[in-house]
Amino acid sequence: MRQVLERLLNLLAFLLTAGRPATAEEIRNTVAGYDRGSDEAFRRMFERDKELLRGLGIPVETRPTDAWEVEYGYVVPPERYRLPDPGLTDEELAALWLAAQVVRLGGQPSGPEALFKLGGGATSGAGEPLAADLGPDVELLAQLFEAVSERRMVGFGYRGKARRLAPYGLVHQRGHWYLVGLAGTELRSFRVDRIDNLKVADQPDAFTKPAGFRLRTVLPTAPWEAGEERITASIVFSPEVAWWAERQLSGAAKIRRRKDGSLVVRMPVANADALVGWLIGFGSEAVVEAPPQLRRLVVDRVRGVA
Amino acid sequence: MLPWVIANPGSPVEEVCSRFGYTRSELIDDLNLVMVCGLPGYGPGDLMWAEVDEDSVIVDAADYFASSPRLSPGEALTLLAAGLALLSSGQAPPALSSAVEKLSRAVLPGGADSVRIDLAGEPELVSLLRRAAGRHHVVDITYTALASGETTRRLVEPWSVFSSLGNWYLSAFCRRAVAQRVFRVDRIREAEETDELFEPPPVTVPPMVAYTPSEDDVRAVIKLGDQARWVADYYPVEVLEDVPDGLVVRFSASDPSVIGRLLVRLGPHAELIEGEAVAHSTAELRRTILARYADA
Repeated sequence: MRQVLERLLNLLAFLLTAGRPATAEEIRNTVAGYDRGSDEAFRRMFERDKELLRGLGIPVETRPTDAWEVEYGYVVPPERYRLPDPGLTDEELAALWLAAQVVRLGGQPSGPEALFKLGGGATSGAGEPLAADLGPDVELLAQLFEAVSERRMVGFGYRGKARRLAPYGLVHQRGHWYLVGLAGTELRSFRVDRIDNLKVADQPDAFTKPAGFRLRTVLPTAPWEAGEERITASIVFSPEVAWWAERQLSGAAKIRRRKDGSLVVRMPVANADALVGWLIGFGSEAVVEAPPQLRRLVVDRVRGVA
Repeated sequence: MLPWVIANPGSPVEEVCSRFGYTRSELIDDLNLVMVCGLPGYGPGDLMWAEVDEDSVIVDAADYFASSPRLSPGEALTLLAAGLALLSSGQAPPALSSAVEKLSRAVLPGGADSVRIDLAGEPELVSLLRRAAGRHHVVDITYTALASGETTRRLVEPWSVFSSLGNWYLSAFCRRAVAQRVFRVDRIREAEETDELFEPPPVTVPPMVAYTPSEDDVRAVIKLGDQARWVADYYPVEVLEDVPDGLVVRFSASDPSVIGRLLVRLGPHAELIEGEAVAHSTAELRRTILARYADA
């Protein structure tokens, strides 16, 4: 282990300072730790070391050693290696430590490595009775995040259809991750756990996000606000479920409380189907008063004909 | 550790240790390693210089390690998401907001507003429960069960508050049930922290949110039409058969009304194949709803 670490530090120091791509042969002859063993042993050792460095987020790049592109060498461009120092105060680092301990992604809290890169800081948050789980899969999300941050186009399969998208961002809402972006001329969102066969294009900076773009506007906060319909619904919730309805209504709803504790709610609806589905969860404790076509839809749904 | 030590020469050993999670001997081990590394030639002028002088740490001749390597996409996303999640939960310390802003600028150059996380729930309730759990104070809650709709008052010993699959939950020892229970925070109508202390469990069992069918559950076999296939993604069902025009699944729940509500909601896109209790519950739900729309 110690030998490997020593070799890795030497390799990184060399690749960072060489200022030009160095061939594998040159590395073997120059960098301490590679001078023993057969050709085959060197090749395996070097491959593994490259992967270890890349796994740490270090950009080990392959480039031609001269204009004729006969030979290829390796280099770590300092400008791509360096993390721009975010200038975090100790207090800010402590806040990030707490967040990293409390929030899990990929089944685990964020490891300390990222925070060490940012300047360490005393760990805090151990024994904190608070936790949040952002889902089990981090690998696909990390690939999408890289595409988003480097503005690369992505292609993927979604419910059996091939899609191409300029990825604008990632949203976690109601327990799921969504990829948001421009598909053709349309802003669309896709559930990340249904994405398969992801391909990320090589070309960075392939698109620009429109200046006024805001992620929050793409995904509606309530399911009945996602759609094309324009209905104003009037609904009465009984006193027994009033508290529960109130917690789920969005800011767009106008709520009036009657003396008996029931709620009269007027709210915009863009997806009548989703609204009816939600209302059925209240059983007979919620009733649509208007408009008539929405009442009709409830009745048809309950009878099982729509 | 290296970039920080290079930037802060002469820092006390103790501070370096606590900042990067080292014991003293681990730190000295790593510094000794640094001493034998450097640039080709590997003579005195090429190797890095590291020493512990009195009680301070000095590393020299390693300007190329003066900056940290950038975060890998996975590290960057995980840490940024953690910060954003805690911010949106309303439970963040004051310094987190500027920390996340700085982090976001470092890992997403020119890409502000690229990650958004919404863990909003009942922030006041979550705060109250978190505080009580930290102080080991018993909490008096009024809770309405999701499945049965039954409302009860209980004294609980709060262990932890957590967010999973889009909801906030309280894991607690319930004195009414005399057992560990998981409560959905949004179904807690009222909560009051009492002064009574409880003995926290030596080891908290990590709570399970995933629903696991039990012996007493009602079961039903349902055929989901193509437009209702999503149900199999959202609910813990057992897929029995994938047929050309849909999916046959077995659904378990603690109360027949849970399945009944889903069936009514799915309308013509689902058909109950087997399950007497569920058939009853569904018919009853249909009847009571329609009674309120007699004139429609």
